[in-house]
Amino acid sequence: MSIIRFVNTDGLPAFLAYLSKDARVLAPVEKPADKKSVVFEEWTQGKPFTLEKATVPAKEAVLPQCETLLTYKRDKDPEDPSRVSLKLDDTPQAVPTVVFACRPCDARGYVTLDRPYLQGPMVDPYYKARREQLTVLTLTCPRGCSTCFCHWVGGGPSSPEGSDVLMTEVEGGIVLQGLTPRGDALLEGSGLEDGAARFPDAEAARKAAWATLNKAPDLKEAPAKVAARFTDADFWEKETDRCLSCGACTYFCPTCYCFNITDEGDGYQKPGRRLRTWDNCMSPLFTREASGHNPRTARALRMRNRVSHKFATYPENWGAFSCNGCGRCISNCPVCLDIRAIVLDAVKTES
Amino acid sequence: MPVLNGKELRIVGFLCNWCSYGGADTAGVARAGQPTDLRIIRVPCSGRIDPLFIVKALLNGADGVLVSGCHPRDCHYSAGNYYARRRLEVLKQFLPVLGIDDRRFEYTWVSASEGQRWQHVVTTFTDRIHKLGPAPRLEDAEPLLKIADMALTSLRPLGTGQNAALDDLKAAIKAKLPELDCVIGWQQGYDAAHTVPLFMRTPEDVDKLVWGPFNVNNPATYLPSFKGRKVGIVVKGCDSRSVVELLQENLIKREDVTIFAMPCQGTLDMARVNQELGRYSAIDSVSYDEAGVTIVADGKEHRFCMNDYAQGKCYGCTTPSAVLADTRLGTPEAVQPGAYTPPELAMLDAMTLEERLSFWKGQMERCLRCYACRNACPMCVCRDYCIAESREPQWMTQEATAREKLFFQTIHAMHLAGRCTGCGECQRACPVGIPILALRQQIARAVAQLFDGYKPGLDPEAVPPLLGYELEEKNIHEREWK
Amino acid sequence: MVLHSQNASATGGMLREISPRPLPGGNPYQPMPATVLEVIQETGNIKTLRVVLDDAEAMKNFRYEPGQVGQLSVFGAGESTFVINSPPSCKDYLQFSVMQAGEVTAAIHRLNPGDKVGVRAPLGNYFPYEQWKGKNVFFVGGGIGMAPIRTIMLHLLENKKDYGKISLLYGARSPRDMAYSYELQGWLDNPDLDCTLCIDNPFEGWQHKVGLIPNVLTELQPSPDNTVAVLCGPPIMIKFTLQALEKLGFAPENIVTTLEKRMKCGIGICGRCNIGSHYVCVDGPVFTLAQLQELPPEL
Repeated sequence: MSIIRFVNTDGLPAFLAYLSKDARVLAPVEKPADKKSVVFEEWTQGKPFTLEKATVPAKEAVLPQCETLLTYKRDKDPEDPSRVSLKLDDTPQAVPTVVFACRPCDARGYVTLDRPYLQGPMVDPYYKARREQLTVLTLTCPRGCSTCFCHWVGGGPSSPEGSDVLMTEVEGGIVLQGLTPRGDALLEGSGLEDGAARFPDAEAARKAAWATLNKAPDLKEAPAKVAARFTDADFWEKETDRCLSCGACTYFCPTCYCFNITDEGDGYQKPGRRLRTWDNCMSPLFTREASGHNPRTARALRMRNRVSHKFATYPENWGAFSCNGCGRCISNCPVCLDIRAIVLDAVKTES
Repeated sequence: MPVLNGKELRIVGFLCNWCSYGGADTAGVARAGQPTDLRIIRVPCSGRIDPLFIVKALLNGADGVLVSGCHPRDCHYSAGNYYARRRLEVLKQFLPVLGIDDRRFEYTWVSASEGQRWQHVVTTFTDRIHKLGPAPRLEDAEPLLKIADMALTSLRPLGTGQNAALDDLKAAIKAKLPELDCVIGWQQGYDAAHTVPLFMRTPEDVDKLVWGPFNVNNPATYLPSFKGRKVGIVVKGCDSRSVVELLQENLIKREDVTIFAMPCQGTLDMARVNQELGRYSAIDSVSYDEAGVTIVADGKEHRFCMNDYAQGKCYGCTTPSAVLADTRLGTPEAVQPGAYTPPELAMLDAMTLEERLSFWKGQMERCLRCYACRNACPMCVCRDYCIAESREPQWMTQEATAREKLFFQTIHAMHLAGRCTGCGECQRACPVGIPILALRQQIARAVAQLFDGYKPGLDPEAVPPLLGYELEEKNIHEREWK
Repeated sequence: MVLHSQNASATGGMLREISPRPLPGGNPYQPMPATVLEVIQETGNIKTLRVVLDDAEAMKNFRYEPGQVGQLSVFGAGESTFVINSPPSCKDYLQFSVMQAGEVTAAIHRLNPGDKVGVRAPLGNYFPYEQWKGKNVFFVGGGIGMAPIRTIMLHLLENKKDYGKISLLYGARSPRDMAYSYELQGWLDNPDLDCTLCIDNPFEGWQHKVGLIPNVLTELQPSPDNTVAVLCGPPIMIKFTLQALEKLGFAPENIVTTLEKRMKCGIGICGRCNIGSHYVCVDGPVFTLAQLQELPPEL
């Protein structure tokens, strides 16, 4: 039996303070704006936070928007300035991190990212350093949402995958359920009251959330059907005709993991840096070669790559969709391009 | 000379090769004493100076920037400095909205023989910068978050346009459709409370066309991608200005575009609508009346009165009907122009320079550099070759810092100077709600002040002000160096 | 295809097997510091660099197979992928031939002997030369595409006893565009190699064939019997040469090519060199035509 604890709403700041004792705590913070956005930010004592679903994914915790892969410093030999020495430093910058109150789709995102970063032909040491020090406290969703479709792709409002602790809001507070040894240890040291008595309430809340979901279509055939669509240029043209080719869908996706590597500085006066930054396959520059040749010149071809990656080629390589149905690509798209509709159309009609 | 004493500040000088660089040389040869704060960068002509050189210097730690070129009428290339004069004056009026003191940037004219004048200019400017002290840095600013006051009064009655002649419009489009590659309009999105662009190619597509306050997207954004093909477009008044501006700049051909227009009664600010709706599973119903929309979601009723929930731009709109159209339906409503400051700009106007810097710091921190703002912009036509991502030349790093992000917004805004019609797509597209439209609005205001109330996108024949010049500028006067 | 739950495959690893090959040790993003030993101006826009790893031990132990690539770093400009075109038997240096096209290649062209660079290698798969034993091999190289051909060809020539007839058709736009010009006479004189050179248009003093590679190939009429065709060159040449080879009767599994794509990470993560589910940096760059025909047409 896993460890169950209960925290009442007033006790949350103290719990966060406990979490932040030995780790950087990333919690959802509301940014007042005309269009309200909820982002993950480092929590410090006294900082307001929210339990709302963040508008951005929690992937920053393992894959920062920008990180330094290595620094390079060149030094001229004072005796012979034509001789230059080169020093490289590749120490990963990773600190213990707790992600607080992400949603199940965010937590499943880590599982999706783990495969290419940790189980591919070569392990990514920067990702690994962060991932090993990551603890995920997930808040289950109270109900479905018009843009969410986690239950279509194998998840759900209380899906445990990728989480160390599953939290569920009940009347008066939150029930916390340890899912992994790391989560159990964290709860045991928290000093929170035992929550076994409230666990049935949590289970009821989770069940109620499932009940609000619409019926999920069968996507078993999706990988084959989407792959079969590859050469159907008209299909992709029509499905993506309103796409603006910006990067909102990829940057708001908890499972999009493509990146760019660029150098900043020549390394003579101060160390130059080789940066890894999020990149997005919607940009025409993404695949443009120095010769000018580009295998994905058109918007439709780039969106085809994105959808195919999520629903055909990633499943082919790893046996699972690389879409967790968080719906952020739909709600944040300037033209509400709906990946659900594209996949359903691909599955539905004969190619 | 007091400026020669004390700590040196960082002043960057961009000097034209033919006059001012020679002037500085003359001053040097004459052993005229000068402060040593200035770092000179020689450029072929003041017309070569992209305003971004100056913004980049200021954002990256310069305490002042001085530009100097040939005197008007003396340009080695005839007209380079005339173009520069307009650009630099617009820039000077733009800087304060970023929170940068416009006194930190100056431009002037010094000829190769005017060694003494050069000495005077440098000394005076350096003295001014020393009085201002080191420039506040974006990195040191404390983030400030603030929301514009949207309680606005409209210049005209706003409504939901439910009496619009939609059926007549559909019939008109169907009649024209055989001659056209497609017609761009709007259709329902993933639910009845969201509308998305529609590309009509068949009569069945035309039946999907909707008209109403959810038609927020500007279909003109897609026009340049149809280059060389016959295309139709359904426009609101604001959209038509983008079409006209594209025509002004020869980015589309008049004979290729067929414009269908209906008078607009305002569109909804979807950011505030979505916030009010919150997270819902399903829309039960959307009903319209003259004054607004009622949406029932998950059994809960939400009322959106157009007077309260319209987009900021709609309140000050003076062109509800298209300024150019081939087929017009409905009766256009006359609007009397009145005083109107866009809400975001009004908010910034009320701030001090320090507060503005803090404001942009706070806003830019959450920018994800997705470039939705750029790609949604109908006037951003070089998007596939944008210098934001280019390495040759390399204007920006890929770092996720507020400085790089703000610099991109400045690039976008400066490239829109005298071209932006204020359609607001950049801000509407921003997934994290950064009020970037304010930067464009500040430039539009400066352009209107400098060029006799010029507004982009009203007259297909008009030359955008930064693409032209006058020998004697009516509203741009050289500053005295005293 | 089986779609299993997220947890099941979290321990299962990749569903597709990646063939064994030499890999860089340690942090795969960390280049090995290296020094430019020699720069050879091959043509107007192609230079060949010979670089030596600064760590003598690493240089001595460096193993790679013909066809594997390396990421060459010029710190400050970035990295770009090139095939290591010296044969694996060469232990003194790693050789890269670079055509100037973008930012990184321009920076590489500015390098001088003694300059510091970085090398991430070996990456990618290699030519399946073990499977070719006992067969004839017909190489077709076009322009800078001769670089990968050079490494595998020299490797086979070193082990000639294991192979049948080895032929080379090397074409370029003009004699001035021919890289490795200083080696050509040796190749022509080599009794183990049947070497044909061609240029696109007649040129004064040119004593070899004139014509586009696919046409010259058709003229040469190589027999597809027990023969593997290996080709590399610009996309347009590949396209028509493939057609010519198929017309000559070469089966798709006996046609081998090596691809070029924009790459960043080189280890199958960053997501830009994929063709369907396959990554050129991991599953390639060497593919048979039969393999390519299985993949979506996105070259």
